[in-house]
Amino acid sequence: MSTINILTSFLKTFRREIKRIMHDPVYLIGSVIVMTFCFVFFLTIFNEGLPQRMPIAVVDQDNSSLSRQYVRNLDATQQTKVAMHLNSFTEARKEMQKGNIYAFVLIKDGFATDVYANRQPVITFYVNDGYLVAGSLALKNITYMSELTNGAAKQKTLLAKGVPESRIMGIIQPITIDSHLVGNPWANYGIYLLNVLLPGVLQVMIIMLTVYTIGTELKYKTSKTWLFTADNSMFAALTGKLMPMTIIFTILSIISNLLLYKYMHYPMNSSIGWMFLTSFLYVLAYQAIGVLIMGITPVLRDGVTLGAFYGLLGFTFAGFTFPIEQLPYVFRIFSGAFPIRHYFEIYVNQALNGLPIAYSISQLLALLTFIFVPLLVFERLKKAALYQNYPIK
Amino acid sequence: MENNQLNEPHRNSLLRNIKATFHIFVDEIKAIFKDRGVVIIVMVATLVYPLLYCSMYKNETLIDIPVAVVDESHSSQSAMLVRKIDATRDLKVTARLSSMKEAQQYFVEGKIHGIINIPANFSQNIYTGKQANISTYSDMSSFMYYRSMVLATNYVTLDTGEDIQVNRLAMEGITGKQAELITHPIKYESTILYNQGMGFASFLMPAILILIIHQTLVFGMGMAAGTAREENRLHELIGKSTHRGHLFRVIFGKGMAFFTLYLFWSVYILGFIPDLFNLPHLGSAMTMLEFIVPFLLATVFFSMTLSVFNPTREVQMILLLFFSLILLFLSGISWPQSNINGFWRVFSYLFPATFGIQGYVKINTMGAGMSEIRFEQIGLWIQTAVYFILATITYYWQIKKSVKRNSKNQ
Repeated sequence: MSTINILTSFLKTFRREIKRIMHDPVYLIGSVIVMTFCFVFFLTIFNEGLPQRMPIAVVDQDNSSLSRQYVRNLDATQQTKVAMHLNSFTEARKEMQKGNIYAFVLIKDGFATDVYANRQPVITFYVNDGYLVAGSLALKNITYMSELTNGAAKQKTLLAKGVPESRIMGIIQPITIDSHLVGNPWANYGIYLLNVLLPGVLQVMIIMLTVYTIGTELKYKTSKTWLFTADNSMFAALTGKLMPMTIIFTILSIISNLLLYKYMHYPMNSSIGWMFLTSFLYVLAYQAIGVLIMGITPVLRDGVTLGAFYGLLGFTFAGFTFPIEQLPYVFRIFSGAFPIRHYFEIYVNQALNGLPIAYSISQLLALLTFIFVPLLVFERLKKAALYQNYPIK
Repeated sequence: MENNQLNEPHRNSLLRNIKATFHIFVDEIKAIFKDRGVVIIVMVATLVYPLLYCSMYKNETLIDIPVAVVDESHSSQSAMLVRKIDATRDLKVTARLSSMKEAQQYFVEGKIHGIINIPANFSQNIYTGKQANISTYSDMSSFMYYRSMVLATNYVTLDTGEDIQVNRLAMEGITGKQAELITHPIKYESTILYNQGMGFASFLMPAILILIIHQTLVFGMGMAAGTAREENRLHELIGKSTHRGHLFRVIFGKGMAFFTLYLFWSVYILGFIPDLFNLPHLGSAMTMLEFIVPFLLATVFFSMTLSVFNPTREVQMILLLFFSLILLFLSGISWPQSNINGFWRVFSYLFPATFGIQGYVKINTMGAGMSEIRFEQIGLWIQTAVYFILATITYYWQIKKSVKRNSKNQ
């Protein structure tokens, strides 16, 4: 078949697909509506960046001016607020089990007297790492505040002992750490999560709708018409069919990039153009995966189940929460089979760390490779479409 | 087909009602196992997902994250510090480099996930009684790297600092108990009450386990309803079992089938799996049962209500799969519930998963009793009632539609 013919077949299929999309709300709900919902949801839910003013409690059995001062200091920090004043450990533990507080501080009776009498009183923090994020942040905040309080007391005592001021800090804190957080100096959760969660949802929808558009042709026995429209060219049939959604999903991913890097001003230490290109290849790669799935099992129902399985695994294999190299070996080796993994690496190198594009070439090529994956199932899918020899349920 | 579903005579005895409901129950169980798509969701996925996810996240914490050290001090003090950092569980010094430039190269090549720079004046500062400073650079692509870096370097500098502190105080003529009092006028102790190991799986998996139950029920019941609709030539939702009559029997029979099945699954997913993978499992079995019953009922009726709007077998799963992620974040297990704003908080209360995850984590991870999870329990019973009513209304509407069409056809 000549190129001109393929082009006309492609255009005919493309037009047919546009009609299908117009007649079945699933396509637009699954792309535009779902992604709009996710933009609003994720951009509003993490808008604080870091959780602020998380509730903690104090059990101040001493109730002296010294302990009250300490409690006021705790309350004045940015990340925690003293939401409850309780009477006993048991009461506080129950509030913790109810989830009303993420940590509590126990100041025993006699605290102030012990301080003044140099008897080294103990203040105990209890944190709940069942909520790992809230628990760790609350502990960090309480520890920091307490060190400050202690530092002030130490300084006073040392001055009173006649230690010269120039030597005091060297005694209180002999080694300090200057901590640099590369690319995300505020440890902002939005930056950390959204850069992967939004593409994550996108890949789920791309797989699902690709499976759906091919699967419904087979299920409702319209696949012959589909191929007939494409003049029996599988190439024209697939490209014509997938192109409308390629356009929609690419636009959605570009909107997503603009929201993150322009509207939210998340770190973009390279050219945003590279992220646009990556997103485009990412959309194509996942459409190719969708075709592969339908080639493996030309039954809509099974395709959906398989696609769901693969799509959800993507969140693990991106490796943004729990790093890939710390997964057990048997799982680690599969990470390359998920375009989201390559997307994540490009994002880290480009947007977060601002490296030259040369460092991301291999991942871009990997994304490109996925596009050829449907060739593996070309014949099988064509036969399935022509002979409709698979169960339709 | 009979069309007297709605005005069934009142002479039926209780026994007959129970019998009929039981028949629908048996029919539904049979229908579940006859449908391969449904079996994959409610039997295979429920079996495999917990095993798969728990195995993937089997490593609770990061161990020996590779970092580079740029030691410009070349002193015994700096060498000691590096040895101690290397000895921590969190970090491993895989490269000792001479310049920051070189270290950056290692960093961008992904060979290391952090850099520790010890400046040239480090040992001099220690000898002269000044504050010595080190710099750390953390890979922020995963917050877990950052956490490992903070934990390890804080521990090592505090530990090393204490020895220096004692020496310096001795030089000022302060020793023994007196020195101890000056360095620690107040002692702070921190105790992690739940998830003591700060484990990632211990934190995340309980939520995932509840989500697996919730989502397989939603999709399983959705697909079963879709099948019924497709098999029924008139494209109504309720399939063959309707002829046994009476709306409530259909709802109870169908609901009981999935409820019973998932009661068994709950033992496996919420009891056996945490035990197998050494995840926290504190709560008493009685509390768990008292909690899991309303959770399953709420989820069953929620799924039933939702299933009415599923036009075909597959559409619900295609459009709602992504929602699993939304449910995870709405539950407040990761981003704290206290910091989820009013609108999303109220929105989250629409889904049994929210109360389910919170309640299960509280019982399972924190050993809460019934009185601590009263809020979640009441929430789930309210959902059970509301979704039962909604399921009834939507089914009534469906049956009426079907009856109307049947009588027209006759």
